[in-house]
Amino acid sequence: MIKTFTHLALLFSSLSLSAFGGGKVVLPSMHQAAVGEYQWMTDQQFVDLFSISMAAPGPSMMVVSLIGLKACLHYGVFMAILGALIATVSMFVPSSILVFFAGKFWDSWEESPWRHSIQQAIMPISTGLILAATVIIAKTSIHTVPTAIMGIVALGLMLFTKINPVLMMAVAGVISWIFLK
Amino acid sequence: MENQAAPNPDQKTPGVASPPTLLELASLFAFIGMTSFGGGLTAYIRRLVVSKKQWLTDEEFLPGLGLVQLLPGANVVGLSVYIGNHLRGPIGSIVALTAMIIPPFIMVCVLGFLYFYAGKTTDAGAILAGVTAAACGLMASMVFEAGQKAITGIFDVFLIALTFALVRLGHLHVPYVILIVSPLAIWWHRPRTVTGASHQEREEPR
Repeated sequence: MIKTFTHLALLFSSLSLSAFGGGKVVLPSMHQAAVGEYQWMTDQQFVDLFSISMAAPGPSMMVVSLIGLKACLHYGVFMAILGALIATVSMFVPSSILVFFAGKFWDSWEESPWRHSIQQAIMPISTGLILAATVIIAKTSIHTVPTAIMGIVALGLMLFTKINPVLMMAVAGVISWIFLK
Repeated sequence: MENQAAPNPDQKTPGVASPPTLLELASLFAFIGMTSFGGGLTAYIRRLVVSKKQWLTDEEFLPGLGLVQLLPGANVVGLSVYIGNHLRGPIGSIVALTAMIIPPFIMVCVLGFLYFYAGKTTDAGAILAGVTAAACGLMASMVFEAGQKAITGIFDVFLIALTFALVRLGHLHVPYVILIVSPLAIWWHRPRTVTGASHQEREEPR
């Protein structure tokens, strides 16, 4: 149990400082650790938990709470909540401490030409990582013709309309409940 | 201490209402936490904190936004720390961050327990099939949005492919991938305005 807590703390605190562009960027590593290395859950459970966290309110990184919860679920409800708490604190605190202290030096940095360079350098890396995350989600979520159609329609709606993503996911859930039950 | 991030020391009272109490700070960020979903969040926070509450001016808010966009972590999370510190010092940071995280944390934990203890029904399975497919479409749209900003030349396409290959084919963890690819990416995007300007100067007279 202590071992699981340690794994959660080490995993998420290291990912916290790598999440350039938000939590979705480190999703491939979360998947690799939770499904592969530590076998806390199945592929299907990982994708389900990710979708639940996307459909629920809060910052996009709330999936870490659910991974912590599942990793400790077999120790009981109380330990599951503790696991969720450890995962969440590990994910949010290191990057927040960095923001806090970097703010003190920001004034002298803001006008530096390197700032733009680094921003532009981060973008392709984030894009590659989000692409990898999308492939992981797609491999499990898109397995039939109806789910493929829903995924493509969702992509089109997000790119070409201003629909609220949560509303879109809720509607997709209802449509799927009516037709796929 | 509280004002160390202010851009201009001569802007003493930059049209800002009196600083909020910790309780006001906590309730606004709890509200942001419970009403924030996915993208477009920074514009939303700016509207609340700068336009509506007038706790900060744009001159104070925008440097913070630039900072959190450059650093790791979700922008909303970084902004809560930055704004909290700006308004009420270190305690303000802790209050804003905690207030924003706790309501969604309780919410996802409840949903998580529902999923694991009551979610094995066919109804839940059918609903989740639709939600995951839509979530996948949402993620794919983020690839397009990020790619649009990222791709300024063929080398950026190479960097995207290299990153993807290291994660998916090399099975490397994200921190290592960033350590490998970022020196290459930063070198490619290094500031070149100085050399560019000198080239121009040399060529212009002809």
